[in-house]
Amino acid sequence: MSIAASVLDAVRTETALRPGARAIRAGLRIGELSGVEPDSLRFCLEALVSGSDLDPLAFDIELRPWKRRCLDCQAEFRVLEFNPACAVCGSSSTEAAGGDEMEFAYLEVEEP
Amino acid sequence: MRIPLERKVLNENDRIAAGLRERFRERGVFCLNLISSPGSGKTSLLERTLEGFNKSRRVAVLTGDIQTDNDARRLARFGFPVRQITTGGACHLDARMVERALADIPDDYQILFLENVGNLVCPTSYDLGEEARAVVLSVTEGEDKPLKYPATFHHADLMVLNKIDLLPYVPFQMELAREYARRVQPDIEIVDVSCTTGEGLDQWRAWLEARL
Repeated sequence: MSIAASVLDAVRTETALRPGARAIRAGLRIGELSGVEPDSLRFCLEALVSGSDLDPLAFDIELRPWKRRCLDCQAEFRVLEFNPACAVCGSSSTEAAGGDEMEFAYLEVEEP
Repeated sequence: MRIPLERKVLNENDRIAAGLRERFRERGVFCLNLISSPGSGKTSLLERTLEGFNKSRRVAVLTGDIQTDNDARRLARFGFPVRQITTGGACHLDARMVERALADIPDDYQILFLENVGNLVCPTSYDLGEEARAVVLSVTEGEDKPLKYPATFHHADLMVLNKIDLLPYVPFQMELAREYARRVQPDIEIVDVSCTTGEGLDQWRAWLEARL
């Protein structure tokens, strides 16, 4: 809920920079490893927006996959079934390469 | 019109956390963020840790709970500065709460423990300016917690497997718990401890001392 509130604070701050503008859609990127469940986030966002000054702001939540990079063959691969080994060459020497995103990608506004 | 923002959702928290981290680095403070589900033994681990420290060590503890100052009272009896952060409903600590609470303790600590609110989900997203994160998992829980809460274990430097004195009475499989933790974080370090018998606490203390 406090993450949803942070999103809406940012929407209000950005909108206030543009007098007369109205926010209509916010684009977010949420990684599989961010600790945030996209459905719960959407639920919280919609609950906070409903009946507020931001109603009917819509959300576009893009899910980002959990990725690692192989230190042997350099391939970047998606981690499936919690298997951290390289999906291309099988090496076990890999490093984190994404999936913990919790980002505000864009805000769509309507200007007078 | 679409305005590209390209920034973190928690950028205000991250900004304060970066300030704290810088302050800790300048002063040579080691700050540890302790995360676990409720009842895994974060406070017990801190009790045993503080008990083992020489009174001349400069240690401070901030402990977070939704309500009550019970944990702070348990920890204060060792003579080190302890402050309770009562979040009043929030299920995690954030950097601003830490910054505020630190204003209230003498600025000479070299080790700072941040005992987060008992929760394996929300604390993960909030950087507190810590140098390391430890997650406590007790053997009375499921050994598949690392797979159920991968984000928390993925961001941890250390997993403390606690309550190992209870292993004869519970079906917990230690090897499986270690394997699951390494699947979500291949670099995670692991220590096995019992805060009741004291077993394994030397390993935990060695892990800490190696970071000071």
